[in-house]
Amino acid sequence: MCFEIGDFSLNNFSLEVKKGTYFVLTGANGSGKTTLIKLIAGIYSPLSGGITINNVDVKKIPPWKRNIGYLPQEGLLFPNRTVKENIQFPLEVRKIPKSEVIKEINAVAEMLEISELLNRKPEGLSGGEKQKVCLARAIVSKPDVLLLDEPVSAIDEKSKYAYCQKLKSLQRRLKITTLHISHNKTETELVADEVGIMPERKGVETQLSS
Amino acid sequence: MLNNFTKKFDAVLTVPLVFYVVVIVGLIISATVKITPDKVTSTFANPAIWNSALRSFTTSIISTLLVVIVAVPAGYILSRQRIKAAGFFDSIIDLPIVMPPLVIGLCILIFFSSTNVGRFLDRGLAQWLAELTGRKASSSGFFIFNVGGIIAVQFVVGCAFAIRVIKSGFDEFDHRLEDLAMTLGASPWKSFFKVSLPNTMPAIIAALVITWARVFGLFGPIQLLCGTMRFKTEILPTSIYLEYSIGNLNGALVLGVFMILTSIITIAVFKQIGGNKSKI
Repeated sequence: MCFEIGDFSLNNFSLEVKKGTYFVLTGANGSGKTTLIKLIAGIYSPLSGGITINNVDVKKIPPWKRNIGYLPQEGLLFPNRTVKENIQFPLEVRKIPKSEVIKEINAVAEMLEISELLNRKPEGLSGGEKQKVCLARAIVSKPDVLLLDEPVSAIDEKSKYAYCQKLKSLQRRLKITTLHISHNKTETELVADEVGIMPERKGVETQLSS
Repeated sequence: MLNNFTKKFDAVLTVPLVFYVVVIVGLIISATVKITPDKVTSTFANPAIWNSALRSFTTSIISTLLVVIVAVPAGYILSRQRIKAAGFFDSIIDLPIVMPPLVIGLCILIFFSSTNVGRFLDRGLAQWLAELTGRKASSSGFFIFNVGGIIAVQFVVGCAFAIRVIKSGFDEFDHRLEDLAMTLGASPWKSFFKVSLPNTMPAIIAALVITWARVFGLFGPIQLLCGTMRFKTEILPTSIYLEYSIGNLNGALVLGVFMILTSIITIAVFKQIGGNKSKI
């Protein structure tokens, strides 16, 4: 796959993540990890090559039909919606019946221990809380692929690694193929089935985690 | 606190602001103190004034609603810069803002009186509708010397202002939230209505108020296209002109203050609706 945006380009880039795997991608800042996630999510389109999810080339499938869960780096939440309404968003746009929506929201909130935040607005949340809500919103619709862009960067040091273990057990339970971007070695070791190292502006090397 | 170090700087910069506020408040007070209850009663005793006020409110509200229908999508598409000719469209939008309003009125008059499309829209359509409904065709058209012309002028002048305000609202809104909404399963339409629109509502409300206030007081181009006919095309600004031209300065003054008060009340109401996030 090749891609260009402004001065930045990814050339002859290829990466394969096996179904059901927790894959961690590491690499230097500016090497294109976030760009890669945005390409898979459909926010950007590759110049050449393709993106295959479950043996289907999704290059021409718009982002809203890819069934992807995306957690952006900044913990972006819709500011006009409460936490509950944020988590509800993917179910709402898929027109899931209300009774089921409430059940799913409560289940995911309980799983991530954010039930007490449900009626709050995003502006009062800490960075870590925002990331947890983003994760809940990303997984509530049971996506085929979960894209996590530094999902624990705002979680406090004390609970970061417990949260990583939770992420791992969550992925195991939901069996979602996961691509996780991280700069942290301990975090990577805790969650990864496989690790890929992305050299600056070149192809990606993949290797099994120890 | 930083405030302690910037006190002198802030004080100097406040002087021009205070000067302008004094000018505005002074002008309003000087007009208001001249008004007595007798003058108000005698001005509003004239049924033509009530008719004019009603026409002013209905035309300005209709044109503002038309403006919002056009300005919201236009402001959005200009803000996102995804279309090739965005820069060209952007420059054209500025024209009604920089053009003298009278010239806009003249251009609209020429369009409806001298072009085939304009003539059809003005008279042809009126005749066709008259035939369709079995009524007698009116000698005048929809726009020239008619209420349709008031709305047309208000729309053309007001739309540019509204697009500018709404575009800046969309510019300020983090467009990554729209991308995010799409990855969560929302089509561009759903993303627009569920994410972009609710989050830019303060800017849209501000545009609504600014547009309404602008077109409510519009005079020159409306007079040019629609004339100043009592009980037909008279609106409050033309009433002021008519009262003044017949030497009734008190009547003109009462109507002027009435328009000022109406604008102040409208802005206050919309500020209340917009809350702390109000852009007005």
